[in-house]
Amino acid sequence: MRRSNPFVAAIFFIAIFLLYTPLFYLILQTFLNNPNDLKSGFTLNWLIKLFHSPSLWEPLMTSLEIGILSASLAVTVGTLGAVGLVEFASLLPVSIQSLIMLPILLPEVITGLSLLLFFLLLRVELGFTTVVMAHASFSASFVYFIMLEQLKKLDPQMAEAAQDLGAKPHEILWKVTLPNIIPGLMGGWLLAFTLSFDDFLISFFTSGAGLTTLPLKIYSLMKIGVTPELNGLSFLMICISTFLVLLLVSKEQSRKWVLRG
Amino acid sequence: MDSKSTTTKPIPITAMVFIGWLFLMTFLPFLIILGMSFLERTPVGTLSFHFNLNNYIRSFQYIYLKVLFKTVWIALIATLSCLAVGFPVAYHLARSKGWMKQLGLVLLFIPFWTNFILRIYGLVSLLGNHGLINQVLLHFGIIKTPIEILYTRTGVYIGLLYNYLPFLVVPIFSSLEKLDPLLREAGFDLGANRIQVFWRIVIPNIKEGVFIGSLFVFIPMLGEYVIPDLLGGAKEAFLGNVMVNQFFVMQDWPFGSAIAGLLSVLLLITLWLQTRWSRTPGLKMEGLDA
Repeated sequence: MRRSNPFVAAIFFIAIFLLYTPLFYLILQTFLNNPNDLKSGFTLNWLIKLFHSPSLWEPLMTSLEIGILSASLAVTVGTLGAVGLVEFASLLPVSIQSLIMLPILLPEVITGLSLLLFFLLLRVELGFTTVVMAHASFSASFVYFIMLEQLKKLDPQMAEAAQDLGAKPHEILWKVTLPNIIPGLMGGWLLAFTLSFDDFLISFFTSGAGLTTLPLKIYSLMKIGVTPELNGLSFLMICISTFLVLLLVSKEQSRKWVLRG
Repeated sequence: MDSKSTTTKPIPITAMVFIGWLFLMTFLPFLIILGMSFLERTPVGTLSFHFNLNNYIRSFQYIYLKVLFKTVWIALIATLSCLAVGFPVAYHLARSKGWMKQLGLVLLFIPFWTNFILRIYGLVSLLGNHGLINQVLLHFGIIKTPIEILYTRTGVYIGLLYNYLPFLVVPIFSSLEKLDPLLREAGFDLGANRIQVFWRIVIPNIKEGVFIGSLFVFIPMLGEYVIPDLLGGAKEAFLGNVMVNQFFVMQDWPFGSAIAGLLSVLLLITLWLQTRWSRTPGLKMEGLDA
């Protein structure tokens, strides 16, 4: 009775196959003379062109910089939250719980527009800083949940022992707690980075006119009409994403989040 | 320290940084957009700070109600399609053993960590008039003219199904995993056949998990913007698209905000249904604690 029936297995394999088809087709298109014609023969031109077009490298660098900064900010804030709330986590009032869930539950289109209004009301100039802040605002909650789990696994007697030996609270945090949660920190940082690197909609609303991240560049190229460079770029992005996933899966703490999307 | 003093201890400063950050960067902007929905845009384009419900009354006009119903309807059909495909996928995964199970889950999720916009672009190049599907069908002479999938409602359905499937597979999979195999065996021992065991033991035991999982696919679909925008064309606008349009094209921020308010209420109702159904107090994201 362990085997599932062949019909069910067939649906599984067809579904997996179909999930990969668009991505493999994008990779294939990168190497076609005419990306919209399967019979047009193969070429490496589009990839070579990609390495010579600064208009595509600039957005990549911007995305990387935003990812690094926002992930660092989110990890700092989210970890502080988890360290402070770990003892209370199960008895937090519903209002605080909802506040923590809000960035995860709110549709991105509302998050993006409300942040846009917020920045405009504060008369902050839209650009690099606002995008970093916006990304860190939604990824902090994800980091919080990862760190909370990591902290729950810690033996509370360690901190108590340190306290008995005369350590002050900030010393306990720096010398006892922190070194023990480094794997979680790395997992959380990678997740926050990936969320930022992937994000389109929030950047779309908070970036203003001057700043272009990689997803924004792809979007504008798509709106103009498909250019062959876009296919080269897709190929590059798929490589980067696959690399990030493999990194995330290799970390025990973030694996679960990868499998949740 | 004893446990009593732990529970009454004030929330430490480190936590206040996090809570303050969330308050400032998520809750406050959300309050601003809600507040904006009660204002009005003057004919010259400035904001009038005269609090009223006009925007909400306006949003109950036929054209906006139609968009609302269309959003709910498409999200509902797409959720049911996800369920129809996702259930066998989850069932197969739950029945697989050891590394096959792990590999299956990883395979299911790898496409979702490639860039979202890129996945949509992949679908565009697959479904378009010069896309893979039409090229292959034309080549083999199955069709004479390209079939229109992109920029139609079918395109939106395919986009939603593609992007949300794994998020429904996981909750179904975990409810199936939690099901005690002894229950099934007991059913067989008592003379039930496979179909009876499935309908009278498996389904009743997992239906709550499946329902909650469906809501967690349905809810974000209601707030979808990019998929209808890039795969549906102008005709298949969701509530989110109409909202963005009000902000950037019509320049009517208060009315756009009212649509955001309406969308939030819709989400709240769905969440409330979910908490009622799952009999868990407060907000609880299925799977976060698994």
